Amino acid sequence: MSIPVAALLKKKEKFERDPERLPEDFREEVFRLEEEGEWIVDRVPEPFVEAPTKYGRTKKVPMGGLWHHKSCGQCGHIPGYSTSIFWVMRKLQQDYNDPRDQTSCTAWNYYASATSNAAAQAAVAMRNFAAAKETGYFPLIHCGTSYGHYKEVREELLLHPQLRAEVREVLAKLGKAMVMPEEIVHYSEWFWAMRHEIAAKQVINVDNIVATVHPACHYYKLVEGDAIYDPDVYGGQRTAIVTGLAEALGAEVRSYSTWFDCCGFGFRHILVQRDFTRSFATMRKIEVMKEEANPDVVLTHDTGCVTTLDKSQFAAQAHGRNVGVPVMSEAQFAALAMGAHPYKVCQLHWHSADYRPLLEKMGIDWEAAWAEFQVDLKRLERGEIEFLTWEDVDA
Amino acid sequence: MAETLSALLKAPGVAGFDEVSYDDKERLFEQVNTDMRFEDYLYGCYECGICVAVCPSARFYDFSPRRIAQAVAREDVELVYQQMEEDIWECSQCFSCVRCPRANNPGGIILIMREVAINNGMASAKQALEGYSRIIYKIMSTGTQVSPDMLQPDAFPDWGPEVKDVSDNLDLWRRMLPPETMHTTSMSWEVADKTLVELYLIWFETGALDMIKQVDEGLHMILEELMEERLEEMGIER
Amino acid sequence: MPSDTVVIIGGGPGGLEVARGVAELGTRAVIVEKAAFLGGTPIAENYAALTPNFESAEVAMGRMIDRVAANPLAEVRLESQVTACEGEVGDFRLTVTGPDGESTLECGSIVVATGFQHFDPGRETQMYGYYEYPDVIALQDLEAMLKDHNVVRPSNGKPPERICFVQCVGSRDRHIGNEYCSKVCCGVASKEAIEVRQQLPDCKVFIFYIDMRMYGYWENQIYWPAQEEHHVQYVKGIITEVLPKGDKLLVRGEDTTMGRPMEVPMDIVVLSVGMEPSLGTREMAKVLGIAQNKYGFIDAANPPLDTVSTSREGIFACGAALAPADLEDTVSTAGAAAMRAVVTVRAGAGAAAK
Repeated sequence: MSIPVAALLKKKEKFERDPERLPEDFREEVFRLEEEGEWIVDRVPEPFVEAPTKYGRTKKVPMGGLWHHKSCGQCGHIPGYSTSIFWVMRKLQQDYNDPRDQTSCTAWNYYASATSNAAAQAAVAMRNFAAAKETGYFPLIHCGTSYGHYKEVREELLLHPQLRAEVREVLAKLGKAMVMPEEIVHYSEWFWAMRHEIAAKQVINVDNIVATVHPACHYYKLVEGDAIYDPDVYGGQRTAIVTGLAEALGAEVRSYSTWFDCCGFGFRHILVQRDFTRSFATMRKIEVMKEEANPDVVLTHDTGCVTTLDKSQFAAQAHGRNVGVPVMSEAQFAALAMGAHPYKVCQLHWHSADYRPLLEKMGIDWEAAWAEFQVDLKRLERGEIEFLTWEDVDA
Repeated sequence: MAETLSALLKAPGVAGFDEVSYDDKERLFEQVNTDMRFEDYLYGCYECGICVAVCPSARFYDFSPRRIAQAVAREDVELVYQQMEEDIWECSQCFSCVRCPRANNPGGIILIMREVAINNGMASAKQALEGYSRIIYKIMSTGTQVSPDMLQPDAFPDWGPEVKDVSDNLDLWRRMLPPETMHTTSMSWEVADKTLVELYLIWFETGALDMIKQVDEGLHMILEELMEERLEEMGIER
Repeated sequence: MPSDTVVIIGGGPGGLEVARGVAELGTRAVIVEKAAFLGGTPIAENYAALTPNFESAEVAMGRMIDRVAANPLAEVRLESQVTACEGEVGDFRLTVTGPDGESTLECGSIVVATGFQHFDPGRETQMYGYYEYPDVIALQDLEAMLKDHNVVRPSNGKPPERICFVQCVGSRDRHIGNEYCSKVCCGVASKEAIEVRQQLPDCKVFIFYIDMRMYGYWENQIYWPAQEEHHVQYVKGIITEVLPKGDKLLVRGEDTTMGRPMEVPMDIVVLSVGMEPSLGTREMAKVLGIAQNKYGFIDAANPPLDTVSTSREGIFACGAALAPADLEDTVSTAGAAAMRAVVTVRAGAGAAAK
C-alpha cells in the first residue's frame, strides 16, 4: 500500500467531531417562550439517557413515566407492534400510561389529502401534549409520521407567534393549557436507550439472524438534527436507530444500496394509488435487500414503513418478483428475542409476508405457539375470558 | 390572440385545462405565496437537483420537486397552476427533499399548494381524493385514521389472504390483544368521548371541516351533523 | 516601547509573501509557524501541481521559502505558537511558546496568515460516506496520490476506471452553515481531473456540479482544456448519496439536463471539500482579540476597498484566514498586509521619536 493511501485510510478511520461547532439549540427558544408565559414546558422525567444526535447535541430520552401516544396504523392494522412496545416496557418494569384521552396525530390524513391546515394540525398536537401533562406522564410517540410531524409543528410554533395565538385560542375553548414537551421522543429512541437492558433479558440467541434496517424518512429526514446518531453505529455517519438495538441483540445487520430510500408509503398512495407504493417498495427496497443482503428479516420503526414493506410483497410475488422476507418493527423483534409469544404478543398473524422461516431459524416452534393461541381463542369464544390479559402473556 | 400554432395548442380548452382566467390563476398563486409557512419553505433555488435525486415519486412519475420549487420561485403563475392541476398529488410527502442545501422544503410548498387546491375546490383535487372519502370520515369522526374494521378483502385485495382472516375473526382477534385500550374494531384504540368532542371543536374552530365541503359536500354534511350533535349532547357551545 | 518588528503568524504562502515584502522594505520580520516546516497547506497536504499553471507545489513553495531564508531581516521560528498578546498598536508583547519553552516577542504590528482547513466531510448533510467507504476521498487525498504518481482505489490498490468529483461539499449550504462559495474547488477539481486523465488515459472522469466557477483566465486555462483536450465529462446535477453496490460505488443525483434521477457506478468518488477557517485562525482570533465573521474567518474591517484590516489597529490579516482564497488572492492580500504593517511600524517609530 502506498504512503498516500495508507495516510488517507488512517485519516478516515474515525470521524472526530469538533466540540466547538454546535448548531443552534431549538430548546433555548422553547424555554425562552416559557419564560415569556407562552407555554409550559413539560420536562423530561428522570431518570433519562443522554443520546447523541446528528449535529453533536444530546437529547434526553426518559426511561419511564411515559404516556403512550399511540399510532392508528399500528393499533388498527398491525397491533402486534404496539402490543410489543407495551410488553417490552412492562418486562423492563417501567411504569406507563396508556391513554384513552389521545387522538391520532392526524398527520397521515394531512400528508395524504391536505384536508386540514397548519392551525388544526398544531392544535391537535398541542391538545395531545396538554392531555399528557394532565396525567403527569411524558409523551412517547409510537409512530414515525407522528414524530416527524410533531417536530415540524414545534418548528412552526417556534417561528410564528400568530400560530401560537391561534392555537392558544382554540385550546382555551377546550379548557386546555399550552404545553410543549422539552423533547419530542420516539419509541424507537427509548428502545435504543434501553438496548442493553433489553439485551440483558434476551432468551433467544439471534447471532445467526441477518437483518436489514429501513430507517423511516419522517424519523431522520424531517428536522434532521433531532435524530439519534451514535459514534458506535455506522461511525455516527448514519442514524443509529434500530441498528443500534439489533446489534445489541447480536443480530448481523447488513447494508444495501438503497438504504436511504423512502419505502414508498406515500400516505395517499398506499390507500388509493397502490401501484406506486407496491412498485416502489418492491423494486427499490425489498428486491435490493434480497439481492444484496439476503436478510432473514427486515426491521423498521414506523407504522407506514412496516405496512408498506410487509403488504406490498403479496401482489409482487404474484408477478414473479424477488420478494418474500418478513417485515416487522424492532419492538416485535426485540420482544421475540426476549421470549414473547409470537401470536399473543407479536400478533404475527396480522402480517402478510411469511414470518415462519424466521421463527424457525430463531428456534421458535410457531405451530405449538399457534396452538396455544387457539386454546386461548377458544376460551374467549366460550366466554370463559373476555380478553387476553397481560398476565396471560407473562407481563 | 392565438397567432401562432403553438399558442393555439397551448390555449385553454385545446390543451385540456379548464377555462380558468389568468386573474384566477394569479389569485391561487397569491394564496400559496402568502401562506404563513411559505417564507420558511422557499428560499432560493440553484437547481442542484438533490431534491429530485432523493425523491421516490420522481422515479415513477414525470414529477420533479425542483421544477415545482423553480416555478414558484419564478412566480410563473401559469406553470404553477398547471402543476396544481397535474403534479402535486404525485408527491409522497416523505420530505427527503428537505436535504436541500438552501433549506427549501419542496414537499412543504406542495402541501401548501394542495391546501390551496382544496380550498378552491379544484377539480384535480377532487379527482386525486376519489375513493378517499371514507378515510376522511374515519379520521375526522373517530380520531383514528384507519380502523381494524377497514381491513376488508375487497378494500385491500392486494394485501394478501391474511386480510380475509382478520376480517373473518375481527372481534375475537381484537379481544386477543393484551393492551386494554385496543379491544376496539371501529377505531384503532378506544378514544374517550370527551376527547372526540375536543377534536370536533378543533376541526370547527380552525376551519378544517370547511375544507371538506370543497372535496365532498355529502361527506361534509354528514360530518357536520354528527359533530354538532355530539357537541350539543355534551352541552358545548361553539 | 515602540517596536520596529512585524510578526507574521503562519508560514504558508501568505505568511511567506508578507515576510518577504516586509524584509525587502527594510523592516524586521519574524514568522511564527506552528509546524516543523514552512509552506503551509500546499506542503502539509502534499499538493501535486498548483492551479492554474500546473507548477509543482513543492517547487513553488520552495522558491518562496528560499527568498525568505536569503533575507537577513527575516527570521523564522518553527514549532512555535503565539499563546498570549498584550499591548497595542506599535507596542505589542506576544508570548511565543516553542520547543524551548516560552519567550516574549515584541512587535509594532501583526499579520495573521493562519490560513484555512479543508471541510471535514463527517459534517456533511448529504450522504457521501467518507468515513464509511475507502474509495470516497477528498480533493487533498487525490492531490497526494497525484503527487505520488500512483492514483489507485484505496479499497483494492487497483487503478480506477471511473472517477467522479462532487462539487460544493461543505460550501453553499444553509444546514451546514457555510453559506459561501469556496472559490477554488471548481478550478482545483478540474485541474485534478486533467491530471488524472494524463496519468490514467483509460480512466473516465466526471464532475458533478451545481455551477462551474472558474473565473477570469481560469475559464480557458482549465475549464475549456478539461473538456476539449482531456474529455472530462461535466454533468450539471450534484450528487446526494454514495452507497456501495457490489465492488463499485453507486452515486445518486439528478441529471438536470435530462431532468431525471440518475444512479451511476464509480470506482472512486472525490469530494471537492470547501475551505473553513483553520484551527490556527480561530485560536489567533481569540488570543489577539480580533473579530471573526459568522463563519469564523477573521473579519475584514472595511470591505471591499480595504482587504487586510482587522478589528484591532495594528493587526492585519491576509489569505485564507480572511475568506476562501486562491494563491493569487493570498499573495495579493499578503502584499497589501505587508505594506500596511510596515507603514504602521514606521508611524510608531516616528511617534516615539517625537
